[in-house]
Amino acid sequence: MEKLKRLAINEEGFAFDPETGNSFVLNQTGLFIIKLLREGLSEEEVINRLLNEFEVDEETARRDFYDFLEQLRILGLIDTKEG
Amino acid sequence: MKEIKVGVSGINAVDNPGPGVGVAKSVKEWNPNAKIVGLAYDPMEPGVYMKWLIDKSYLMPYPSQGADSFIQRLLYIKENYGLDAVIPTLDAELPIYIEYAQRLKELGIANFLPTKEQFRLRSKEKLTEVAQRIGIKAPKTFSVVDYPSLAEALKEVGYPAMVKGLFYKAYKVYTYDEAVEKFNEIVAQWGYPVLVQQVVNGEEINLVGVGDGEGGHFGFLNIKKLWITQLGKIWTGVTIRNPKMLSAAENFVREYRWRGAFELECIYTPEGDLYLIEINPRFPAWVYFATGAGVNLPARLLTAALGEEPPRDWDYEVGKLYVRFSDDFVTDMSLFQRISTYGEV
Repeated sequence: MEKLKRLAINEEGFAFDPETGNSFVLNQTGLFIIKLLREGLSEEEVINRLLNEFEVDEETARRDFYDFLEQLRILGLIDTKEG
Repeated sequence: MKEIKVGVSGINAVDNPGPGVGVAKSVKEWNPNAKIVGLAYDPMEPGVYMKWLIDKSYLMPYPSQGADSFIQRLLYIKENYGLDAVIPTLDAELPIYIEYAQRLKELGIANFLPTKEQFRLRSKEKLTEVAQRIGIKAPKTFSVVDYPSLAEALKEVGYPAMVKGLFYKAYKVYTYDEAVEKFNEIVAQWGYPVLVQQVVNGEEINLVGVGDGEGGHFGFLNIKKLWITQLGKIWTGVTIRNPKMLSAAENFVREYRWRGAFELECIYTPEGDLYLIEINPRFPAWVYFATGAGVNLPARLLTAALGEEPPRDWDYEVGKLYVRFSDDFVTDMSLFQRISTYGEV
């Protein structure tokens, strides 16, 4: 999570990596997930919070969560061994 | 502040701009009474006509015409207009300035340049050695002089590969035929050897700094180019702080006791490794980025050249955006006539 923690993220979901200069735009759900991951919540805990916060069934929440993690991995924001 | 006359080259603010205009802006922001003397190699260099910034311009002889006429020209400028210091910014002229640095100082033209040995570090043959010494990596690089050694090197690094000249030109090649074509092109223009280099995937990040010549420095600025032109020149960029790059730069100035301006170009891989790909012994064309971010490196270099101690703080903000833009203006033909006829305007 070290790479995620170094991101500067504003309330609108604009994320800036001060070590590489890359920037990303997060939607509301992405911002929600990243905030929780940065707080150190486990994957299961994040999925539970998604279920509480959004009107979504567990299968969809789980699938979308892992899709998002995969995107973070592709962008180099989490290590391959993480997540 | 008192008036000072500063010679600046690289005032060719074109699509592949020299650093001169950025240096001139930086010097004037530091000392509004400074007079900038543009040292141009062509009457059409835009800086010649930017009178609000470049107060007086002179045509210089090409460095290839020999040191004598070059130094004579600087002395002529000193006698006729005044020249307290020079900030050369172009690779091709640096060897003369470095060779005659002491002589120029004795003649009252201050400068703050790397030594000959330091200047040689810019050769891409030296990358591996320098990278090792400053604690980072370098792409696998092979020096080749003929087709068999070219083929051998390509076998080692695989495709795509970079085919580069020692100092200039770099091409990414995907096949052996393409590599041969670029090899011949570089040899025809720049001679031997040609370098074959491994392609490292990652983000290109850059750093500009001024070494104090004693192992310390007068500030760094670390950036990422966000948008580049077709010629590979920065159009927008952002300030960053990459701990590995900053520590490599600290090591660089300490290990080599670097004096004067320099730029380091690196690739930062997703695995967090830093590869050195280029060392430039001068300011980059985007040097005004440092000034705009609060670290006026050209002014600090000039202060050091004049024998005073410049500030050393460089606590710039991360996330400052650099934007280059095109602009135009209209002036009088007489300026062109004068610089073409008399070599000065």
